[in-house]
Amino acid sequence: MKKILITLSAALIIICAAVAFKNVYSCEIPIGNRGIRAAIMEGDLDILLIGSSTFRSNLDIHELDKAFDNRAYIISYGGNQYAATDIQYDEIKKRSDNDHKLMVFELDPLMLTEEVKLSDSRVIWDLSFEGKKALWEKLKSVGNTDLSIMYEYFVTSGMDDLITYPVTERFYSTRYYKGAKTDDTPSSGKEFLENEEFDISDSVLIEAQADAVKEVIEKCRRDGQDFIFLECPHYYRLEDDPKYREYHDYFLKMMDDLDAPYILAHDVDFDNRNPDYYEDMSHMSGEGRRVYTKELIKHLPVSD
Amino acid sequence: MSLISFPFLIFIIILLITYYRISPKHQWKVLLIGSIVFYAWVRPVYIVFIAVSIVTTWALMKKPSRSHWIMTLIVNLGILIVFRYSVYFNVHSLIVPLGISFYTFMTLGYAHDCMGKKIEPEQNLFHYALFISYFPQITQGPIGTYQDMKEQLISPHEFKMDNIRSGGYRVIKGLFKKLVIAGRLTYYVDTVFSSPKNYGGLTLIIAVFFYAVELYADFSGYMDIVCGISKMLDIRLAENFKRPYFSRNIQEYWRRWHISLNEWFKEHLMMPAVTSGWNRKASKFLGKIFPKAKKGNLRTVLPLILVWIVTGIWHGAEDVYIGWGVYFAIIMLFSVCTMSYMKKIRTAIHWNDENVFIKIFQTLRTFIIVLFGEVMFRAHSLKDAFAIYKNIFTTTRINASTITASLVPFGNGNQAAASVIILSVLITGLFIVELCKEKNEEAFTKHRYVYAAGMLIVMSLFGVAGQSNFMYQAF
Repeated sequence: MKKILITLSAALIIICAAVAFKNVYSCEIPIGNRGIRAAIMEGDLDILLIGSSTFRSNLDIHELDKAFDNRAYIISYGGNQYAATDIQYDEIKKRSDNDHKLMVFELDPLMLTEEVKLSDSRVIWDLSFEGKKALWEKLKSVGNTDLSIMYEYFVTSGMDDLITYPVTERFYSTRYYKGAKTDDTPSSGKEFLENEEFDISDSVLIEAQADAVKEVIEKCRRDGQDFIFLECPHYYRLEDDPKYREYHDYFLKMMDDLDAPYILAHDVDFDNRNPDYYEDMSHMSGEGRRVYTKELIKHLPVSD
Repeated sequence: MSLISFPFLIFIIILLITYYRISPKHQWKVLLIGSIVFYAWVRPVYIVFIAVSIVTTWALMKKPSRSHWIMTLIVNLGILIVFRYSVYFNVHSLIVPLGISFYTFMTLGYAHDCMGKKIEPEQNLFHYALFISYFPQITQGPIGTYQDMKEQLISPHEFKMDNIRSGGYRVIKGLFKKLVIAGRLTYYVDTVFSSPKNYGGLTLIIAVFFYAVELYADFSGYMDIVCGISKMLDIRLAENFKRPYFSRNIQEYWRRWHISLNEWFKEHLMMPAVTSGWNRKASKFLGKIFPKAKKGNLRTVLPLILVWIVTGIWHGAEDVYIGWGVYFAIIMLFSVCTMSYMKKIRTAIHWNDENVFIKIFQTLRTFIIVLFGEVMFRAHSLKDAFAIYKNIFTTTRINASTITASLVPFGNGNQAAASVIILSVLITGLFIVELCKEKNEEAFTKHRYVYAAGMLIVMSLFGVAGQSNFMYQAF
């Protein structure tokens, strides 16, 4: 019995220590080339983009750096969640006095249909304990919080990164630069893109995501922060989908009602029917990323 | 009630305390009540179906006769077919009783043994009810036999700390396999198999391999949990797995995978079929077509086909399960029919079965044969399965681009490296442990406290939360 108790106690102590470390200190672990901490370390920026993997894959950081004198950065661990974007914005503001001339948020109609959840556990690693708590409160407010989700949120998520950090950090730092992908991702080819199955017919609007968009806009206005929403072009098959159009229209109406600025996919001269430019329906190939970013830069209203 | 849930934890604690505190002669009653509570927890209506099966079989088999045997078959198979397979006739409203495939087989096994006079029919309805409904084995087996279980279930048991220790250790081992290994592989496997046409050969090969590990970790993990729980109650359940992926031929594989189901088929379907009159006639007919074939081999042809098709259907009436059954029937038949020729060839080329390279070759060959079968077992349709085979044979390339593409199903790209490292460590660890056990059954039996603590830590920090369903529950 004594041995059983010692075993359980020892295991419990180690578990608690690891959990505390993850929740409190993970955001302080030095990570080069990506995440909120690295963005803060960059200091003042001309342009800071906050979004999901679409930003990571579709924006060429070298082109942005060229255009903005190395003062650009992408935070791309929102996991298609406006609820997370909102918290990430707060974290940036709370943890630094850095000046960001323009903040760019993602305008993706399908993000409005994403259930509020932890879809990119990387965000957990990035947030301070207060940030984690705030995101948890958001999850709770929409009811997506049973015991197993709470356990995942505070205990298991991000643990993979933590335990493999000494090895994976070296690997990631070669793959990313200032939060963006640097590898020359090949196109998946016309056959794949024309046949890739996707079904968004039963997607429904998630009010909490739309509310988070409104909150971000409100906070930017409150802080005097210049901002713009950016819609990256998806492969035409997705953009032509009636459900996509429906939420696209909804998003634009919301933006217009709030008088928020945005850049739409078709505002930028880019051929989203060219399969060479895409890896899948939403993520671009290396070539697509370069071509698109070059054109996009012309539309980004960064003040001097 | 899921085995991985808070209510079950409370249930098992209360049950254990009551079981060992009560007078030993009443222990079996505690087990029976516990089993009823466990079974009724999800849907109390389930109790009705199992009760019908228990009462009718018990009553009919009290005095075994041919007509009683036929009625037992009709009642039990009737309930099984109506509920289990009604979905294939577009009758969606029927609730499939929990563990129906497993307890029906136990019931039929009991009845068949009564008929064959292997056992004395049970005179006490409640003793029989406990045998069928014993909660650790009701949902996913093992398919226990009455000979093995009766005495254990009914006789008094003393509290032994060692049972709690070794049972608890086994439960932790099972949870570890389920939550850490199987749980982590699920996402990749589900993603790829949900739209296999979107993936290239390398990704598909990885997914099929992962599925094999997932299925083993999930199912054997479940068995570890239930055997561990039963051990705490001082009741030994039949083992269902004996490191099947180390088998050197396909017959051996099926003697080491889902042992209780395969034993059941051998005992209650294969053997009766081999010795049946219709098979004797059929084998004579086959002998005319293949005059050089051995009589013994011919006698096994039709029973083998029958057993494998029934095994496939037992898993479900979908084309994939029937295809899977036919696949293994063909492999087994090929193996049986070529056995004598292969023996001659092996002697001619001085093939040494004990050579380590030969052992590795045979193990890998068997594993690959199994993997091919498991494509059908996991695919959503035969069409998907054939698309997977086609892609594997036509699009498998190993280069930077395909390797990167194979990481996509891990989900978010920025976590793929961590997933790859952790899965590699886990799968290698599982392989090493199994290999050591294969060489020495006693391996890892010392310092169990350290292993238990290690598994608890890893499970708590890296386990996949919310994984309460086991894969074989679906059957």
